[in-house]
Amino acid sequence: MITITQQRARCIGCNYCVEAAPHRWRMSKRDGRSVLIDAKERRGFWTVKVTEEELAANEKAAQLCPVKIITVKQL
Amino acid sequence: METELMSPAGNFESLQAALNAGADSVYFGVEQLNMRARATMNFTTEDLQEIAARCHASNAKAYLTLNTIVYDHDLSLVKTIITEAVSAGIDAVIASDQAVIANARSLGMEVHISTQLNITNLETVRFYSLFADVMVLSRELSLRQIKAICDGIRTEQIKGPSGKLIEIEVFAHGALCMAVSGKCYLSLHTQNSSANRGACVQNCRRSYTVIDNEEGHELEIDNEFIMSPKDLCTLPFLDQLLDTGVKVLKIEGRGKSADYVQTVTACYREAIDAWKAGTYSSDKTDHWMKRMEEVYNRGFWGGYYLGTELGEWTNAAGSSATVRKIYLGRGHHYYPKSKIAEFKIETYPLSVGDRIMVIGNKIGVVETTITSLHVNEEGAKDTAQKGDLCAFPFEQAIHPSDKLYKVVPAEQTNE
Repeated sequence: MITITQQRARCIGCNYCVEAAPHRWRMSKRDGRSVLIDAKERRGFWTVKVTEEELAANEKAAQLCPVKIITVKQL
Repeated sequence: METELMSPAGNFESLQAALNAGADSVYFGVEQLNMRARATMNFTTEDLQEIAARCHASNAKAYLTLNTIVYDHDLSLVKTIITEAVSAGIDAVIASDQAVIANARSLGMEVHISTQLNITNLETVRFYSLFADVMVLSRELSLRQIKAICDGIRTEQIKGPSGKLIEIEVFAHGALCMAVSGKCYLSLHTQNSSANRGACVQNCRRSYTVIDNEEGHELEIDNEFIMSPKDLCTLPFLDQLLDTGVKVLKIEGRGKSADYVQTVTACYREAIDAWKAGTYSSDKTDHWMKRMEEVYNRGFWGGYYLGTELGEWTNAAGSSATVRKIYLGRGHHYYPKSKIAEFKIETYPLSVGDRIMVIGNKIGVVETTITSLHVNEEGAKDTAQKGDLCAFPFEQAIHPSDKLYKVVPAEQTNE
């Protein structure tokens, strides 16, 4: 399993995470920030546990994020 | 014709500092759709009411920047922000994307054209006059070119939606970009962080080495930071700039500190007033320049206005400011009758004779010199140390969130 976390309030809506991992991320039409699909929020941090298959794409998303608010951890 | 001085605000401290220093208008960003999206200190839509209220109380206008490139997923946020700005009484939106311009017009909000649209000729002014009343010109134009555009607006009677002649705005002071204003790809290229979404990492401000790929020789180019222009400063020729017919002078710096905003706004306020009164002189200019050298700067040059030189580049990585401020502590209490402010010292000593600065959300920036100190219960002393409660005469009421700084020559902090 891997854990993906997003500090959503600091998102600037650049869309890169969606380009890198379109199955895990989408852009919100409501506030223009990215949404980590199926994630739960705790104190501003949105977290979801997913399988190893998604590791590479989400590591790419974390690397591309210009404001560095995405982390991917292997459990 | 009245000249309008427009100052930047990245937070309430800077906003208050700009208003205190005599700005006629203030521009600011909310949420992520502005050219300083990376700054953690941006306002949110909830702040719009207070921003408008504070500006209008000072007889100043409040302009909202909404000038990044805009994607489909941003359109709803654009509408939300403009709708809230309209209901908060914000005076205009500074825009570049046509979706933002169209949205603002349909919601009855006045539009100003952002530098991101790089207006460089009269026909473009005529085109945007269908939507906007104020337009900032590209920073790369000369005084002669600016005057031709201002004259053209008058002779051809080019009017905006308000029915009044188009007002031309120019950048008077602040950071310059190595690219044509804002249209830069460097930050996106190296850090995937787009300047055009307000996330510039300013990698142009570093020094670079050129490597010869055939033989591997490394060259540093004349020891200069060749992609980092000095800061624009028009004070030494402000009379010529105003004589072109420009209406609005804009100061760059939503990412800069409150004391920067205060000092630069105050100097330009005095300069504009002197120009109006016919007392603008080189002696006064020297005095203003000295004051502005004290705050953040990369050295000054006249930008492209004088049309004679290409870029001037910095020779240092950071600021060339001649003074630095050192954080000492926070506000504790204010005695309004005796006009005494009490601060808790948390870091370095404060002595009689020290030049100090108090910065806060409500008071903006206030500077003074310590003439007497009362320390703890011990009465008058020359110095207050870390951990002490110290009191001194201070004209304005302070708050617990206000920060006390000591102002020292820059060399002293570099040792």
